[in-house]
Amino acid sequence: MNSIIIDGMAFSLPLFIIAIGGIYSEGSGITNLALEGLLGFGAFTGGLSVALLSPLFPSGSSTTMYIALVVAMLGGMVYSMLHALLCIKFKANQVISGVVLNVLSVALTAFLANQINASFFGKASNKFMLEVSPRIDIPLLSKIPLLGGFFTSVYPFEFIILIVALVMWYILNRTPTGMRIRACGDNPQAVDAAGGNVEGIRFGSVMVSGALAGLGGMCFAYSISTNFSPSIYAGFGYLSIAAMIFGNWRIGPTFFACLLFGFARSGGYFLVTKLGLPSSYSDLVLTLPYVLTLVLLISFSRTNKAPRALGEIYDKGKR
Amino acid sequence: MKRKGHGFKQSMVKLLGSGKNQDLRIALFCILLSLFAGSLLLLSLGKNPLIAYKSILQGAGFWPKARYAGHKSMLTDFLSLLNYATPMVFASLSVAVALRCGLFNICVPGMMIFSGFLATVLVGYSGLPSFGARFLVIIVGIVGGSFIGSVIGYLKFKFNTNEVVVSIMFNYIISYVVSFFIQTKYIDPTTRQSLKIGDNARLTLVDKVIGNLKIEIPLVLPLAILVVVGLWFLFARSRLGFELKAVGMNRKASRYAGVDVGRTMVISMIISGALAGLAGVSYYLGCYASIQPKVLPSLGFDAIAVALLGNSSPVGCLFASLLVMTISNGTTYMSSTLNVLREIASLITGILLLFSACSAFFKVQANRWAQELEDEYIVNMREAPHE
Repeated sequence: MNSIIIDGMAFSLPLFIIAIGGIYSEGSGITNLALEGLLGFGAFTGGLSVALLSPLFPSGSSTTMYIALVVAMLGGMVYSMLHALLCIKFKANQVISGVVLNVLSVALTAFLANQINASFFGKASNKFMLEVSPRIDIPLLSKIPLLGGFFTSVYPFEFIILIVALVMWYILNRTPTGMRIRACGDNPQAVDAAGGNVEGIRFGSVMVSGALAGLGGMCFAYSISTNFSPSIYAGFGYLSIAAMIFGNWRIGPTFFACLLFGFARSGGYFLVTKLGLPSSYSDLVLTLPYVLTLVLLISFSRTNKAPRALGEIYDKGKR
Repeated sequence: MKRKGHGFKQSMVKLLGSGKNQDLRIALFCILLSLFAGSLLLLSLGKNPLIAYKSILQGAGFWPKARYAGHKSMLTDFLSLLNYATPMVFASLSVAVALRCGLFNICVPGMMIFSGFLATVLVGYSGLPSFGARFLVIIVGIVGGSFIGSVIGYLKFKFNTNEVVVSIMFNYIISYVVSFFIQTKYIDPTTRQSLKIGDNARLTLVDKVIGNLKIEIPLVLPLAILVVVGLWFLFARSRLGFELKAVGMNRKASRYAGVDVGRTMVISMIISGALAGLAGVSYYLGCYASIQPKVLPSLGFDAIAVALLGNSSPVGCLFASLLVMTISNGTTYMSSTLNVLREIASLITGILLLFSACSAFFKVQANRWAQELEDEYIVNMREAPHE
């Protein structure tokens, strides 16, 4: 039972932070299908920083992990500027730009990882190994029956994600900046009339989404595979987009959507091992979050309210 | 009065400005830009880009190599290029048809696996006579792909679901489910892929001996050409094609004009799906004879780039497919002769994609510059009429 909660949370929270990134970008009116590429690129830069820095620190120290998380955020942010540039400056179709960034990110990280491994570390590999992340048991709380799972062998990044998520929620819903961001997604002309810089706000929002996606990607790299490899592109970015749509572009409901995906996945794995099914059945289990998404999308799409100016290129002259 | 950058503007307008074949010129411009970016990349790796591009052409069979292995020649390389380009033509047309109708079909990889798997299981292992088997493979491909397409189109029409997210979900669901069936029932334990299909059902004749050459003949290539012509006719001459384009340009206006928007979108997804299905069978039962479980074919994603590059026009897609496959096929040879990583092929394709995403911007910018120059010219004429 505990394993369902532990694995579920370790999967849901990175998904959640990526989805918040999506909410920032889409809330400001820029469709962001590039989350998949952003999280991969973030994880790549984070993994690279670990590979470069790990000789400097004693093995087993978790300093590299925190550095990697920060570097991953920066990497995701820098890469997202390309999306912002294409969508805002070059007025490209936002859906197409997102897909382009995903394809480019897969190609770029695979190439760079190979090239850097070959020329700096002298080995033929497309992976960066990471240190195993420490797990924390919270005293007392982890002893609670049933709910104790939420406090048992927690990844340190889960706390970071929760804190960042709270801050992000506060900024988006309780500050003038957040109001402007949301206004850019609903009525950019009004923001412009009120003296706001629509393109600047949107650029910033896309950069925030890049940073958050990079953070989430690095967390996935730690929790799922303890390395960076192209297998990080497993559709988690798309899954978080689905969570965001299902959560109606609001942070609170999106959190529960992410929890649902995480527990569907870990619960499925639990069933496969419990029933003693051969490992190929885990393929079927892996479809669960996707099937769930599809069913939920079908039932909720009618009532969904996307930001009204989502996907539209801002045109000053339009009313 | 001449301002800074005047000459640059003038030459850009001349190069890309409105007029005959503007879209074609912009596409060529994007290709040149990405080749240029690619050469910078190659230079930074310490390789000569000219030699690199030449060896890409050599690998793709456009330029004679220095040496050939037995039973090989320029012709075999070229036919191999055509063999791998055939599924790309279908896949890019599939993306293009949906794009023309304003829908973004990124389910092509999923549709390819679905139809490829169906055809493999239903026909690939049967001992039917080769003509019937091949015919059935094509039919199964079309039906399988268009089934998935119709589901996506129907969900969009009936429940207003975002077709992009639905497509992505279908990609993963299909990939995992097919992988499950392959791994439980049809796995070849040595190759870790599905069991090889019989040669009777394969859409490519492999190792066909003609003269002293062993060549590959893609049997569905004529069908691909036929489809290109058919789609050209659909878009340029038929009512359905006109409605498709109208819905793609402005959904509300077409509804107002009496077009059944939902029906048109579902039809375009069905056509798109059928083409993706053809891509699937010509890929999994043509170029290859087995399916690798759990891997979405990257060809399906590259097809988006190709369709963009080809400006969603059938003929454009045909040539864009040849170009992209030339890069990806030729890079195998280049990476062995110049000792660079194979991944550079997808990187160059990615850069190409990036620039073709900006093509709308290039077009707008060129037209704006043309307007500015014209205005300036008029102002100058007014200021100095007697010069």
